[in-house]
Amino acid sequence: MDLTFLQTLERERVLEVLRRDKQLRTIEEDRIRRMKHDLQELRRRGAKSFSRQYGERTCARCQRPLGKLWNSGAVCHGCSHRICSKCRVGVGTADWKCTVCHAYRDVKFRSGEWFLEERAKKFPCTTDKYEVVGDKLLKTYNVLSHISVVPPTPPPYLLSDYAFLSRPGDLKNSKPFTKSMEDLMVSFTSHIKKISTSQNDVRGDLLSVDNRKGSCSTYSTQKSLSDTDINKSSRLFKGPSLPNLFKKSKDSDQEGSSTGAEEETSCGSEYSGGKRGSTCSSISTDCGLFEGVGVAGELELALSYNSDFSCLEITVGSCRNLSHGDSKKKCHPYIKLCMLPGKSSKMKTTVKKNMTNPVYNEVFKFPIERHLLRGKRLQASVWHSGTLRRKVFLGEALFPLDGWRFEDKNSQSFNWYPLCPKAQSSDGGAVEQDGGEAMLRVKFTSAEQGDLMQLSSFKSRQEKDTRRQII
Amino acid sequence: MTDGDYDYLIKLLALGDSGVGKTTFLYRYTDNKFNPKFITTVGIDFREKRVVYTASNPNATTTGKTFKVHLQLWDTAGQERFRSLTTAFFRDAMGFLLMFDLTSQQSFLNVRNWMSQLQANAYCENPDIVLIGNKADLADQREVQEKQAKELADKYGIPYFETSAATGAEVDKAVITLLDLVMKRMEQCVDKPPADPANGNGATKLTAEQPNEKKCAC
Repeated sequence: MDLTFLQTLERERVLEVLRRDKQLRTIEEDRIRRMKHDLQELRRRGAKSFSRQYGERTCARCQRPLGKLWNSGAVCHGCSHRICSKCRVGVGTADWKCTVCHAYRDVKFRSGEWFLEERAKKFPCTTDKYEVVGDKLLKTYNVLSHISVVPPTPPPYLLSDYAFLSRPGDLKNSKPFTKSMEDLMVSFTSHIKKISTSQNDVRGDLLSVDNRKGSCSTYSTQKSLSDTDINKSSRLFKGPSLPNLFKKSKDSDQEGSSTGAEEETSCGSEYSGGKRGSTCSSISTDCGLFEGVGVAGELELALSYNSDFSCLEITVGSCRNLSHGDSKKKCHPYIKLCMLPGKSSKMKTTVKKNMTNPVYNEVFKFPIERHLLRGKRLQASVWHSGTLRRKVFLGEALFPLDGWRFEDKNSQSFNWYPLCPKAQSSDGGAVEQDGGEAMLRVKFTSAEQGDLMQLSSFKSRQEKDTRRQII
Repeated sequence: MTDGDYDYLIKLLALGDSGVGKTTFLYRYTDNKFNPKFITTVGIDFREKRVVYTASNPNATTTGKTFKVHLQLWDTAGQERFRSLTTAFFRDAMGFLLMFDLTSQQSFLNVRNWMSQLQANAYCENPDIVLIGNKADLADQREVQEKQAKELADKYGIPYFETSAATGAEVDKAVITLLDLVMKRMEQCVDKPPADPANGNGATKLTAEQPNEKKCAC
């Protein structure tokens, strides 16, 4: 699918529509993520606790003991667990589901998952069942505009002029330049994709962290990414599209049940989405930590756009009422800033020792052309820096930069934002990537005999999930 | 108005010949206004509307509940030259407003072609469709009789509406009917998943069409 048959003006019109669609989908992604998170919570609450062995004599959801004669429970059609009469939702006495199966079904409706599944039946050849045509087009053509902003060796004045002109309102003026650039590039799309990936990586590293007085034109290259690093990050940040989010959050749903276990995870035929009879859980030494503490508190932050230096200025003010990072009531918080989606390097504040109301007042400058802020989100996450480089997630706030009114004095000044729990680990660098290896051990306990049959397929799935968790 | 405070995002798509009034129809539906000028749509566009939907399916657990539905209404260019672009968007839509012009016999004849386009490109073989004859207010220029159109709709097993974007007649009803179909489809899909995937639900639909090639090329 390409748009070469369109005239330049028409193509811009279409891309404009697709960008609007993208905005809508970003909102939708967030909504789905929240929904998935709620489901995960519900599932975790109801899951068989790991300290206890799986027992036939307790309700799989509320864990109340089941009687022998009365309230002996019945098997849910969705998850094949024995459920007490209180944890059932549904019509009639025969056609009921347990609370979790019901919630899962509900999420399937509300997230549009049903549609994607239906579509995948008809178009099984598409690799990514979540892919949207508009997104595909947008990706292809956005690459071109990236390139025209960061050409290999442009005269400096041209670069800044162009960047200024190419803001959406001024499209007409920039036409000649874009056109020639695009025509030039069209035939090289695939090559360009590669180039731009690597360029972005390098660009991401050109972030300068300095004080308010410092100018952001003094870039300092902190480190250069090795090939493997690039691969790694590009896999992690792959695609901002709803699809990947969804897929990943699905995986993390399964991981969700594993948190809280210390070294060993026992997993019975715990519920996992109807069709799969058994589920898996895995725990690694490093990942999963972010679920360990409750999220509380607020973050004070100011955002402004400096068009003279074309960079985004993020001023991290302070935090208040943070939750404690570990059981000893210690909290050494720092804040990490990340631009999503994309492959940007992260920026961190200093670590404040022993306080839940830290004051930072640090300014970060993120060089980015104004129009490239479209579709971007700023992720500000708060972490506790524990002993032995352990990091504990304390909460995060997401700032959609799309509709951010930078001109508005009000939004330029400090505002308090509540911290939210993280929905899943893979949404662009949420997991700390300190490398290293993850120790894990998988144990499979079969509750019903039939489950043994699924063991082999289960194993490979486990491996896949694990790999994803490690990268 | 676009915040995440809704229960469902439903994507519908309007298709049909050029000039049948897809854009004005959607404009009437979302903004309740009428623009008599003909401005041809470039490729694709979409409009949004937030509606409240009350579940009516008697068997569903959701009966009587109300939901906030965010409608994304895709508008496609009817012109032939955009065809490859517009048909590509068929696969992302959950329901279709297939429109023709009551004052143009040709646009009515082309409904068949649009149906086969849908069958080939939509997310499943028998998607939810409503047939819409637009410009019902222009009674003196009418070329397509209600009976004729009704017969065709019955053949496909889809609802038929005669609407007018100029007066607003039946516009809301057509969209809500489609929304209702999609919501019911949703329940069907989730509640009986394994049985006969492609043609199981609503098997009466599209049976009049010659069986199209079932799978895509690869």
